[in-house]
Amino acid sequence: MAEQDTNQSAANRLSVTEALDGLFDPRTIAVVGASRTKGKLGQAVLALLKSNGYGGKIIPVNPSGGEIEGLKAARTLEEIEEPIDVVILATPVSVALDALEVCTRLDVKVVVGVTSGFSEAGEDGHENEARLRRIMQDAPFRLVGPNCEGVVRPASDLQLTFSPMFNGLRPGPVAMISQSGALAGLMALRLGDRGVGINAIVSSGNETDLTAADLLDYLGNDPQTRVVLCYVEELRDGRRFAEAAQRLTKAGKHVVAVKGGRSRAGSRAVQSHTGAMAGDDRVISAVFRETGVIRARESVAAVDAVTALAAGRRPAGNRVGIISVTGGLGVEMTDLAESAGFEVPVLAEATQTALSRYVPFYGSVSNPVDLTGVVLTNPTYVGRCLEAVAADPGVDIAIAIITFVPDQQFIEALAEAYETTDKPVLIIWTGAARSDASGDSLRDRAVPVYDSPARAASGLSALMAMKGEVA
Amino acid sequence: MTPRETLEHWQRAGRRVVHEADAKDLLQRIGVPVPTRDPAEGPCVAKLCHDDYPHKSDHGLVRLGLSPQEAAQATAEMSARIPGGTPLIEAMENNAVAEWIIGCKRDDTFGPIILAGPGGILVELIDAAEIRLAPAEPQTAEAMLNSGPGAKLLAGLRGAKPADSAALADLISRISVFFAENADLISEIEINPVMVRADTKGLIAADALIVLAPAAEKREHDT
Repeated sequence: MAEQDTNQSAANRLSVTEALDGLFDPRTIAVVGASRTKGKLGQAVLALLKSNGYGGKIIPVNPSGGEIEGLKAARTLEEIEEPIDVVILATPVSVALDALEVCTRLDVKVVVGVTSGFSEAGEDGHENEARLRRIMQDAPFRLVGPNCEGVVRPASDLQLTFSPMFNGLRPGPVAMISQSGALAGLMALRLGDRGVGINAIVSSGNETDLTAADLLDYLGNDPQTRVVLCYVEELRDGRRFAEAAQRLTKAGKHVVAVKGGRSRAGSRAVQSHTGAMAGDDRVISAVFRETGVIRARESVAAVDAVTALAAGRRPAGNRVGIISVTGGLGVEMTDLAESAGFEVPVLAEATQTALSRYVPFYGSVSNPVDLTGVVLTNPTYVGRCLEAVAADPGVDIAIAIITFVPDQQFIEALAEAYETTDKPVLIIWTGAARSDASGDSLRDRAVPVYDSPARAASGLSALMAMKGEVA
Repeated sequence: MTPRETLEHWQRAGRRVVHEADAKDLLQRIGVPVPTRDPAEGPCVAKLCHDDYPHKSDHGLVRLGLSPQEAAQATAEMSARIPGGTPLIEAMENNAVAEWIIGCKRDDTFGPIILAGPGGILVELIDAAEIRLAPAEPQTAEAMLNSGPGAKLLAGLRGAKPADSAALADLISRISVFFAENADLISEIEINPVMVRADTKGLIAADALIVLAPAAEKREHDT
């Protein structure tokens, strides 16, 4: 019950919306624990905030004052006379708690607690946790974390984190909420590699105040958001999370979630079959399904699902057209698509005729289309074949499979083919990692690119969104 | 007393498990069909209901297919063995084409939920129950019955008559609403089995159990 008390007691507490509006587009940020010493959290936070080009006012806070990273430092938070939109705490826990207490007397909208040492530290963190809860009881501001990796919003050049995993992201349709900072980093890096744009990332940590449900509701309602990606271990207000998710999915947005950790159920005596049959994991799957949340088995599968959904193209049906420069990969993709409930139908005669201009007699123009290595001789051929298959009225989703890339024009032709259709297109590029620079034209358009048929299958499954789970 | 007042009364009396006879009395008041009590003719079911013995069969507290006289003898014998119980003699349902389980509980994460699936001995055999948030609207209840392997059972396997799914969906929705409205007082409701008759013929709750939530002041001590 203590959690609810902290959310309700302070009468002058900012609403979630007021607070998060300030967090994501802040004019003034105070970095408590800003430091000149490499290796300290506060040094990394300040350096990343600056190097990512944040245009607002940054005030380092350090008892020694002076200048840090070329910015005039305040000795204490009290020295700052203007309103502060965001205070980030990047100090050892006792200093952080003192600063948090000071914030209750200042005009602060949000505090981001990167600091650890609370409930997650077990017995050792017990006193800190108790003090944290006491402070938050009357706090007018809202708290992200503690024990989190921070907040990122590319459109505001905002990098409030000590982790370099979020560097170089571009603005876009994906919002991410993660109770694990490291998993947020893993997922952000992979989405960024594919050019998938990010609206905001919140590492929500211990969720002492702001919860995944608060963040889902706020970020999901942002018109910029098309997909919300969540990594959660414990949903404290699960009912509100489910209701928020249902509102979003009914409005045509997507929620992809990974639920980490088996919970400690089954310890209670079971007096009924209901108790035994409705185990925690089954309930999570059922409720996610009911509310339209796509459940991913783990974080990379979630990234693969989000990559496909972020492109914003909805399939009209479940018929997949596959072209491949090699027979084997086309066969594997066909097997995976069919076992996921998709059809791989024979292509229309007109499509086959169009393809046969490029495909030699020892290839195949039915479906999957085996282009053979001959198509590599002309850099635009694969692009034209993709166009032809995507234009087939019997195809709802097109998949193009390539291995290595002979030259840049080849990829550009594929990217242009992507633009000629409104249908979802997935590219499987098994050699992607080794020909990184040549992928820019795909990244610039956030074309869903996968490095194997299995990972593309996760994206494919997500496109049929109401189907539930992706492997 | 309203059903809610009855629940509060039971909770104040310190009851945790509410035995079948009392549970059925309450459920009947919210529109759940239950078997005829003390019928003039057999076959009957004889049971002894006791809060401390929710699993009656394990303790020899259920006997089936008896005449009214045999049933009276059977409950007398059970009462002699286990004092403090409530004898229950009911008409035995012989027209069911499917047995279903309907269960409600408060999930730690999502709050009130409802479960429905193949019941009776099938709960031990297959894991086919559908789960939804409670309260579940009638359309949601219908969707539960149209999903999973249970749908085939209700439709009638190999020429068997289809079951009265409409009555079952109505019952699921009704129970889920009652549970969600009183989830502060109830931890679990379970009706197992619901004896579902052929289409348009209705259904009967053959067994039921209510588990109450601990009273509020006690709950604070527990956590």
